[in-house]
Amino acid sequence: MPYVDVFAILQLQIKGGFTHLEREKTMGSEERSILLSRLCVLFFMGLLLVAVVAAPWLTHWFVGFSQAGLEDEAVYFMITIYVGFVPAAYLLYSLLKLLRGIEAGQVFTIQNVEYLRRISWSCFAGAGIALASQFYYYPWFFVAVAAAFMGLIVRVVKNVVAQAVELKNEADYTV
Amino acid sequence: MPIVVNLDVMMAKRKMSSVELAEKIGINQTNLSILKTGKARAIRFSTMEAICKALDCQPGDILEYKPDQD
Repeated sequence: MPYVDVFAILQLQIKGGFTHLEREKTMGSEERSILLSRLCVLFFMGLLLVAVVAAPWLTHWFVGFSQAGLEDEAVYFMITIYVGFVPAAYLLYSLLKLLRGIEAGQVFTIQNVEYLRRISWSCFAGAGIALASQFYYYPWFFVAVAAAFMGLIVRVVKNVVAQAVELKNEADYTV
Repeated sequence: MPIVVNLDVMMAKRKMSSVELAEKIGINQTNLSILKTGKARAIRFSTMEAICKALDCQPGDILEYKPDQD
């Protein structure tokens, strides 16, 4: 039977545990916040994937649940979900890339401005799809307004970050 | 940019290396390189003062205005 130094293994495990605890302590609240944001984005990615895969069942359930005689519009609902998936997925992907940049300490960069621009346009694209979908189900109008408003906010943030990038470059190249 | 930095000319005249100048004016090599290559977008009065002191020259010897051709 090979010799196993249980005591040494225990020591290593305890040491590893302490190192982990120390790392936890030094991990700033900002890093944790970014991690939480990333997890939220991943969660929404999963949710979006589930919504797309389960679109026929979701539509069936909704049409039955609403009791508003939407049986003929079920196919339109599915089209809206499938078309809306594209900007939603692109938005979440851009958000993930943006968070990755922020995590790497690169906040005020041209690349991040570009990601924000993409996010903003994805919101507007979603708003356009929802607006087009109101012809068969008018509450889509409220979704369109909400998405457009969100796109507007992101656009303003993008403008602010673009100015911040300019200021940072100015400061970086001041000797 | 129509502002030309003639720092390397003055350094050559005074026979001073980049390392020596950076040490004398108290800035790092990267920032001195930014200044020498004309990538700088602004220069602080304190930096200009230190350069003029180290190279025994006037700000006009370092900076020159050359209008764009077009």
